[in-house]
Amino acid sequence: MYWRTIPQRYKMIGQKCKKCGAINFPPKGVCKYCQTSSEFEEIQLSGRGKVHTFVLISAGGAPPEFAEQEKAGGQYPVAIVQLEEGPKVIGQIADVDPKEVKIDMPVKAELRKIYTEEEVIRYGFKFVPG
Amino acid sequence: MKKVAIVGAGQSRYGDFPDKGIKELFFEAYKDMKASVDKGLDPKAIESAYIGNLGSGGFQLGNMSALVTEYCGLTHINTMRIENACASGGYALVAAVMDVMSGTHKAVLAGGVEKMTDVSGVKQKYWLGVSGDTEYERLAGTTFSGLYALIAQRHMHDFGTKREHLSMVAVKNHKNGAQNPKAQFQREITLEQAIKGPIVASPLNLFDCCSTTDGASAVLVCDAEIAKQYTDTPVYVAGFGTASDFLAIHDRPDTTTLEGTRRAGEMAYKMSGLTPKDIQLAEVHDCFTIAELLAYEDLGFCEKGKAGPFIEQGHTQIGGDKPVNASGGLKSKGHPIGSTGTGMAYEMFNQLRGSVQKPTRQIKGAEIGLIHNVGGSGGTVAVTIMRR
Repeated sequence: MYWRTIPQRYKMIGQKCKKCGAINFPPKGVCKYCQTSSEFEEIQLSGRGKVHTFVLISAGGAPPEFAEQEKAGGQYPVAIVQLEEGPKVIGQIADVDPKEVKIDMPVKAELRKIYTEEEVIRYGFKFVPG
Repeated sequence: MKKVAIVGAGQSRYGDFPDKGIKELFFEAYKDMKASVDKGLDPKAIESAYIGNLGSGGFQLGNMSALVTEYCGLTHINTMRIENACASGGYALVAAVMDVMSGTHKAVLAGGVEKMTDVSGVKQKYWLGVSGDTEYERLAGTTFSGLYALIAQRHMHDFGTKREHLSMVAVKNHKNGAQNPKAQFQREITLEQAIKGPIVASPLNLFDCCSTTDGASAVLVCDAEIAKQYTDTPVYVAGFGTASDFLAIHDRPDTTTLEGTRRAGEMAYKMSGLTPKDIQLAEVHDCFTIAELLAYEDLGFCEKGKAGPFIEQGHTQIGGDKPVNASGGLKSKGHPIGSTGTGMAYEMFNQLRGSVQKPTRQIKGAEIGLIHNVGGSGGTVAVTIMRR
């Protein structure tokens, strides 16, 4: 299932609706804003945005495939980031003291290791301050 | 269309029962339902059954509704499993109501069952954290505590909702659940305990989260024209509503509103000709404490953003003007996923008939009540309004 979303995870490719002009990310079959058009052009998102809301995941809150990461750091931040092109997307925040994460904090996306399953490393975007 | 009545309701104990599987748990609820029918029930009258179930850890994914109903002796009837994550039971009830309304069947069983403690903790989390938009939410490292924490954090930011407000939900529901002999956790907790619980997904701590639970429930729905054959005091279905939403919270325009709840509530109010003011008590989906606060707002019990002060002022405790989760809610009664919605119907049936097991949590004289069942973080919602 992971590989199907590689254009989003590696390159942050969004969809610009040809009818209403709004940007969908992650992709939809029908534009989630005008709910009428399925005609899109692919656009490259900048990966820049600001924290809309966040959570610090501790023991008990992590899925099993992220339990090791939680154990290593004690907790890890996950945010919904409002991207500068409009859409919001969920992702982890790396390279930050979890206590420093704040709503409206500026962040940018970078390609990072997400988790390992069945000895395969999965890569994708995480956000970092900046 | 036919008018619909509820004439019987039963529930198993909620908790951790290693000696019971889904068949035995469901049979316990079924027998309890049967015993509740005042003038007796000939099981042959039951023509159809809808069973809410998320998947019981994956070990009976196929044909589970036929399995649990034939175990009860209801072989050869129309039956199907209804799955909408944690709202499966609420949707099973709505499916049964629509079956009767349409005139297809006259007496229909709505039930639910879940067995959550048969698999290891790791497997359980694999199984449970997959009712959001899995490709994005799960693969960012969250389960449902994390998703509701994202909503809570923003609610606190936008409306000044306090840590204490979240904990007040837990304290209230444990106080109520302590008076429910079928609840999983029949004990009270203090506000200090609730505030200082170990962090699970900040801002949510252990006391903000419901547990994993084994349990089952069943209600008998019938054509209102024949209700008096079963009891002199039926409860009527005044209205219902169901609505879905974007599964991923990041896709929703408003992070702190469950639009599914708002729309399902609106539909139920419209169908019943009632307003939020008419609702005298409610069972709402408090899988996490923030979820109960959202329900107050999205069901119109208080203004948007005012749920914190609303609980602080005591409106929703037993004795308040709008008691919520007198059963103990998911928090204290337990949350056996597929059973939760019909378990709420069991509580409301007894509240409206004045037959709650322990009179200390009976809401006296209540005539109109609402039940509210949420799937995942709001991807699906079912609301039913019942009246005496």
